[in-house]
Amino acid sequence: MLLKQKLIENILDTALETGADFSEVFIERRNASTLQSVSGRLEKVNNSKSFGVGIRVAKDTQSVYAYTNSKNPDDLIQLAKDLSKSFNDEKLTKRTPLMELEVGKKHQAKIKPTDVDLKDKVKLMKRSYKVASEYDEVIKQVMVYLVDNEQEVLIANSEGRFVTETRVRVRLMTQAVAADNGMMQTGSSGDGSGKGYEFFDEMDIEAHAKEAAKVAKTMLYADDCPSGVMPVIINNAFGGVIFHEACGHSLEATSVAKNASVFSGKKGTKIANEIVTAIDDGTIDHAWGSANYDDEGYPQRRRVLIKDGILNSYMIDKINARRMNEEPTGSSRRQNYKFSPTSRMSNTFIDNGGSTLEEIIANTKYGLFAKKMGGGSVNPGNGDFNFSVMEGYMVRDGKIAEPVKGASLVGNGAKILHKIDMIANNLERQRGMCGSASGSIPADVGQPSVRVQAITVGGKKKGAK
Amino acid sequence: MNIDKLFKRASEKSVTDIQVFVSDKNNLNIEIFEGKVDSYVIADTSSIIIKGIYNKKMGTYVTEVLEDDIIDEIIDTIIASAKEIDSLDDAIIYEGDKEYKKLTDIFNENLFNLDVKKKIEKLQKMDKYLHEYDKRVSVVETMYSENTNNVILKNSKGLDLKNKANSAYMGGQVIVKDDKDQRVGFDVLISNDFDDFDIKKISKEIIDNALASLGAKPVPSDSYEVVFSNGALATLFSAFQNIFSADAVQKNLSLLKGKLDKVIGSDLVTIVDDPFMKKSARSRSFDDEGVATYYKELIKEGTLKTYLHNLVTAKKDNVKSTGNGFGGSVSAVNLKMEAGKSTLDEMIKSMDEGIYITDVQGAHAGANAVSGEFSLQAMGYYVKNGKKERPVALITVAGNFIDMLKDITMVGKDAKMSYYGVTTPSIKVKSMPVSGS
Repeated sequence: MLLKQKLIENILDTALETGADFSEVFIERRNASTLQSVSGRLEKVNNSKSFGVGIRVAKDTQSVYAYTNSKNPDDLIQLAKDLSKSFNDEKLTKRTPLMELEVGKKHQAKIKPTDVDLKDKVKLMKRSYKVASEYDEVIKQVMVYLVDNEQEVLIANSEGRFVTETRVRVRLMTQAVAADNGMMQTGSSGDGSGKGYEFFDEMDIEAHAKEAAKVAKTMLYADDCPSGVMPVIINNAFGGVIFHEACGHSLEATSVAKNASVFSGKKGTKIANEIVTAIDDGTIDHAWGSANYDDEGYPQRRRVLIKDGILNSYMIDKINARRMNEEPTGSSRRQNYKFSPTSRMSNTFIDNGGSTLEEIIANTKYGLFAKKMGGGSVNPGNGDFNFSVMEGYMVRDGKIAEPVKGASLVGNGAKILHKIDMIANNLERQRGMCGSASGSIPADVGQPSVRVQAITVGGKKKGAK
Repeated sequence: MNIDKLFKRASEKSVTDIQVFVSDKNNLNIEIFEGKVDSYVIADTSSIIIKGIYNKKMGTYVTEVLEDDIIDEIIDTIIASAKEIDSLDDAIIYEGDKEYKKLTDIFNENLFNLDVKKKIEKLQKMDKYLHEYDKRVSVVETMYSENTNNVILKNSKGLDLKNKANSAYMGGQVIVKDDKDQRVGFDVLISNDFDDFDIKKISKEIIDNALASLGAKPVPSDSYEVVFSNGALATLFSAFQNIFSADAVQKNLSLLKGKLDKVIGSDLVTIVDDPFMKKSARSRSFDDEGVATYYKELIKEGTLKTYLHNLVTAKKDNVKSTGNGFGGSVSAVNLKMEAGKSTLDEMIKSMDEGIYITDVQGAHAGANAVSGEFSLQAMGYYVKNGKKERPVALITVAGNFIDMLKDITMVGKDAKMSYYGVTTPSIKVKSMPVSGS
């Protein structure tokens, strides 16, 4: 065990001495490795080992947090004491004895990163480099990243929860740079999983490498994207970043509970076109954003956020649940022990609709086909969002036409949900890293191809149509 | 961890040179929501970055586990890494410079020792002030964050350096609402001097800006003259910092390749790296490789004067390191675009028709440091006949950062250090494509 049970119990008790009604200990150990190759040569090998303890103490909606990487019992007890000074009552809450330690059994890795020889890791990277660099003579640089980490967590709280699990994640990404005539463009592609190194037996490494090079070359010779308001077809898989940014963040209790979200107080009302159903599911087998438990130690779940256009559920953590008078939804996550946990997305996606991508394109006279999305961000306070298009094409008379570069999409989350007027049946999820209040965490985004009737497209070229 | 023991063990296992970078951090974060302490975080962490040369290749290990019984694992991992690395880069551990500048103002003991109750009181005062300022203010959060970083660098070539710095920021976020619209205002002040936190002044700015943006709408898509506020330029500029890195240049990842001593910007543009900037917790007298830092002009009146180097990139280009080896790569310490002669008012007044941009968003995805291109969500004001006519939101402004440097026509007096650690004035740019309605 990461710390002795007796010490954990002491910390939980000490924290409750001055009137707090909840205490929690989060202990984490992590081994991580990041490999980077440039021009096919292994340049960086970064291994890291972390250990830390986070202690949280709360009374009603007020919570305080401390973290350290000391294992020393005196230091840890002192930290709990320091935190308890934020409250100044008599001891009010009696701690529920810890349950028998529960070990999370789902999503376990077959081949752990620490059991893989560095030579074999490098071989995976070379496969990718070979295909990307040989794709075309305009490809001037190829960088390959192989990232893995194994996180062991143990969570205990004053309500008796006592759980542990080991989470393994691996990811291989390739970035290609195409250059010609003083211009440069980049393309990237890759995949990751909540599995161990067995994942690379199923990943088509060569296909991703080719894709990275192809996007870089296509965008190198692409025209500047025209600017203006137009229909946009957002492709499946990473296209789901639109929902993630535009709506997902605004459905997290972090902003909802404080009335700081456009969706505060909208539960049970229509917030989207009735063809839209959206789900956040932290239980999908071995998925990038899955886990046995959330980072408050409660089971991860499947949450139907929007059902046929009606707001059905928020994502809620323990403290915000108190503020909202609702139950937590097993949605609490954090990057590591350096962050107090809060409500976050896991694997979030729009569900399949009734059209096909071909039908959507054929039904669009003029617009943009955002085949591959980059990242984006949102201001939850008013729902305004932006995201960038990595690979885009104009659509003319129901057909995909010339490639365009440098496009970004801006809009408003509350409004765009009503403007989704066609949804295809090709749902796919894709890996992403999501940054917010409790740090950067792995999260899947996903959707089938969708059409948004009208959205502002920002590009360098003047005037649409 | 016993460093001498680590060095001895490394030498026994044929690691020819070794270096440790020990970092001890203290953090304090406080957030006040609706008058009450909503979040209070205290932290105390240590970590060590160990770099070792084996067979002329460099292996790296980062650990927060500091017990001596991990020493063999560290050295074995470094050796295993070094054996696989086939990069042609040299592995260098530095013997040190003759002199290192003494930085006296980057650690402020008074700030560190100031009772946390005083810090909370000031935040609560700010919360109250923000609430009472205008009845359209609906949600208020105020925050204070303080970091102390104590760094020790030691290596087997006898180098032994120390640096201690602290800094804090205090700020607030408000949501303002009227019948039709809802807008967010946010800003922070950064300093290591608690008296610098003028909460009335910043509160007024946060709310005035948020209120002024109520009812913002897009403008028709077209090309416009643009003024970027100092804060908006900071966000944009920080996304393109890497173009100055010699590492990026050598890897064909920077548009500044082959541009040394050439004119790449308007003669109004001077960009420097000032590692000794006062009250910046980023300020350092040595970089992570132990090289002494110094003040340098990167772009002087439009001409590119130098790239930023660490030991490895410098050796490749046959120059001296510029003391910019940070985090295993190359970066500036305090990047700063020098202030100009104009006031913000003068810049706005000089536009017949244009956009005054107060904020850009999404730079992590919408700005590409390799191609230089950006297309970013922006907000601000539509300017007609030299006057702010109405607030603007949900537009994008697009361009190429390198082209933009040439098109700068006015530079403001108002250089300010941002949340992102870069210092920028406001600027006026000739013409940029803006996408809106």
